[in-house]
Amino acid sequence: MSTSRREFLQASTLLGFGATVPAFLGRTAFAAAPAGKSGAKDTVLVVVQLTGGNDGLNTVIPYKDADYYKLRPTIAIPKDQVKGIGKDMGLHPAMDATARLLNDRSAVCVVQGVGYPNPSQSHFRSMDVWHGASTAETLTEGWVGKALKAKPTAAFHLATGNESAPLALAGAPVRVPSVTSLEDFQLKMAAASGADKDAQKGVITNVAKAPASPGPPNNLLDFVARTQMNTYASSDKLAAVGKNYQPKVPYPATAFADRLKLAAQLIDAGIGARIFYVSLDNFDTHAGQGGVTGAHANLLQQLSDGISAFYRDLAERGHKDRLCVMTFSEFGRRAGENGSKGTDHGSGAPMFLVGGKVKAGLVGDHPSLTKLEAGNLGHAIDFRRVYAAVLDHWLGVDSQTVLGGRFDPTEVFDVG
Amino acid sequence: MIDPKTAWEPYKPSADNPWDVRKVGHLYRRTGFGATRAELEAGVADGYEKVLGRVLAGEPESADFGRTSEYMSSERSMPPGAPQQRLSAWWLDRMLKTAHPLREKITLFWHNHFATSNAKVQNARFMLGQYRLMYRHALGSFREMLVEMGTDPAMLVWLDTTQSVRGKPNENYARELMELFSLGIGNYSEKDIREAARAFTGYEIDKGKGAFNTRKHDPSEKTVLGKTGTFKGEDVARICLDQPACPRFIVRKLYRFLIGESEQPAPELIEPLADLYRESEFDTGKLVAVMLRSNLFFSPAAYRAKIKSPVDFAVGIVRGLEGTAGTLPLAGVLEGLGQVVFAPPSVKGWDGGPAWLNAQTLLSRNNLALALTSTEDGRFGTRCDPAALLARHGKKTDEEVVDFLLGLFLQGDVPADSRAKLLDYLARTKTTKYPVYWAPDDVTNHRLRAVAHLVLTLPEFQLD
Repeated sequence: MSTSRREFLQASTLLGFGATVPAFLGRTAFAAAPAGKSGAKDTVLVVVQLTGGNDGLNTVIPYKDADYYKLRPTIAIPKDQVKGIGKDMGLHPAMDATARLLNDRSAVCVVQGVGYPNPSQSHFRSMDVWHGASTAETLTEGWVGKALKAKPTAAFHLATGNESAPLALAGAPVRVPSVTSLEDFQLKMAAASGADKDAQKGVITNVAKAPASPGPPNNLLDFVARTQMNTYASSDKLAAVGKNYQPKVPYPATAFADRLKLAAQLIDAGIGARIFYVSLDNFDTHAGQGGVTGAHANLLQQLSDGISAFYRDLAERGHKDRLCVMTFSEFGRRAGENGSKGTDHGSGAPMFLVGGKVKAGLVGDHPSLTKLEAGNLGHAIDFRRVYAAVLDHWLGVDSQTVLGGRFDPTEVFDVG
Repeated sequence: MIDPKTAWEPYKPSADNPWDVRKVGHLYRRTGFGATRAELEAGVADGYEKVLGRVLAGEPESADFGRTSEYMSSERSMPPGAPQQRLSAWWLDRMLKTAHPLREKITLFWHNHFATSNAKVQNARFMLGQYRLMYRHALGSFREMLVEMGTDPAMLVWLDTTQSVRGKPNENYARELMELFSLGIGNYSEKDIREAARAFTGYEIDKGKGAFNTRKHDPSEKTVLGKTGTFKGEDVARICLDQPACPRFIVRKLYRFLIGESEQPAPELIEPLADLYRESEFDTGKLVAVMLRSNLFFSPAAYRAKIKSPVDFAVGIVRGLEGTAGTLPLAGVLEGLGQVVFAPPSVKGWDGGPAWLNAQTLLSRNNLALALTSTEDGRFGTRCDPAALLARHGKKTDEEVVDFLLGLFLQGDVPADSRAKLLDYLARTKTTKYPVYWAPDDVTNHRLRAVAHLVLTLPEFQLD
């Protein structure tokens, strides 16, 4: 089954893209309940996608294992460079900020050896599996979209210009808006006066509600009209959010950190947004990925410094116990490096959860470096068990409904 | 439902299904970047056969077009380190001015197929080289293009083939060759990829050209897709081409590009074209001609059955307005709409279809339409002006104006209610209080530009 099959299905049924009502939800339904208990009502989930297949073995490093150094003669991280996080494991030195969040603040949970059976090594297929939380051939809805269907709440995809909405968000009752910046998230008009502006806006928003064109029904046209309605409603809502956000701690000057800063701003604005989706691209390090420094180190630094600033900013604002950041990638990479000082596509890899209520430290064992599966690290924890924990214990959404089956939640939260 | 037996037979205009301006608009959108008023009128008057011939063959390019495009892509204007935006602008300029839009459009299709990004390649010369390879074969031989792509410098960098050597193969190109360039997932195994990767060892770039280095190549035997031999990269490409999955895969993709995104075509629709494609040695021009002439192409199943890409959206507006726009700023703005040519988001290219539109990209589309129709926005210059266009065509009354704009951009095919709302807006502007320093001409021009912007925000205009 090709990916184009999914695209066709999305287009033909438009299952993934939400209903007609532009019910951009306000704070009322979801505010006020305290964090700290199972599925608390105002918890926030920030999903961070590492696009391209993050090299888990150079992220969470079994630095006491001699096999690690045999597998990676040129890109291994020397023992004395890793940032220890206990159990003879260490983080890549570029993730110093994350190690400190773990060691000093107990705000990081590292789940090791996460994957799924018979893993695909296609970026696109494997990403679909993670997004759809299923290995079914045809996937039209995502796990976050289904969670939103079970428990509607405001959500945002904080995007870069070249990034389309992820499958993970498809299936939501109201299409999740993608936002690149608040400045650009406005409907602009060249108006001679306030009344002229209102008149123009009236046409723009009302033509989206106009009955379908003559002729047979066109579901793409319906899709466009619904997207327009949702968008104009979201745009109105966000116009009320203040433009000048002053972070409590400095964020690094990266586009990734900018997106997290925008998430912090939206969280702090109290508009009821509880789910955010952010991506960081370029993890497909087939060649010249580097070791202590280099391409992969730069990516991990962006990731780690961005999340650290985000966590500390929100902690200063009193939101740390509401926050859970969860990272994932479509797969890890081959255990042994290739001839290009890089790594080819692999399978099992770690996930990170960051927040005030996560169970600090390592969960699960590092996959064996001697029992490789066609050169790849095995997995001991199905990723849907981590999703189940996030759904059941963090968002308060029944995981069976979303995952289509029972997955025993991994213990990643301190709350029961 | 369309009957697969007659779907690909040539369309014949009839009383029930006449050749009309909507079909001309449809043809010009799918085979290019939208029609001008003159093209719509000539299209109706000249009839189906003549227009289709013109679209397929293209008009001869002007000497000025060739000269300018050549100069702008010379090493002097476009050195290896030329910024991304200049590279994108160069292609947008071709799309705006070409006399053979189909060839640019199909080249764009191949760019999305062999999606290579300068973000990694970091060499404008290589990117232009790959463009030329795709332009040369756009309506020619896919077989030759696929084989040549294996040694294309931009591709060699993009998928790390230059790093792949005997004993230490890199799987990147072998995987995407099968998954994305020729067969589609499910039509090969992981073992095929690992074996094929050994065939793609020893390729490097020498003086800006793809070269083969025997010393770095793995000459041993490989087994790929059931064939065994001491294969090189080109052999693996040919093995892929010989798979029945290959013509089907390309035909399906081209179907989605030319016919529509809203329905998955039945195998009965794909098979005859896959046979034709294979028998013609992968002659894309022949395949495209059959698709474009067909009953299916001119049926309701294909009409407005796609979401416009950002490039289609932007170039279509400028062409329709008979204007020009600075393609450098345009290339910059298109990033916010989700499409930077020469920099697709991944090797899978742009997802297209509904994925083009989300809250942010929709707002960016509306705001780009505003920038292009309002001369207040200095970025694109003032030579793309609806007021000037309407004056040129002698449209004065509110009804003339609205009908002209709806005819131009949507061939009048919108609900009566939308037309009424546009007229209502123009009626309301008669009582608007304008700044005292506005001359009567300022007021007139403002109304015309504003209503043109509104037309471009209609949901129908997002469809291709």
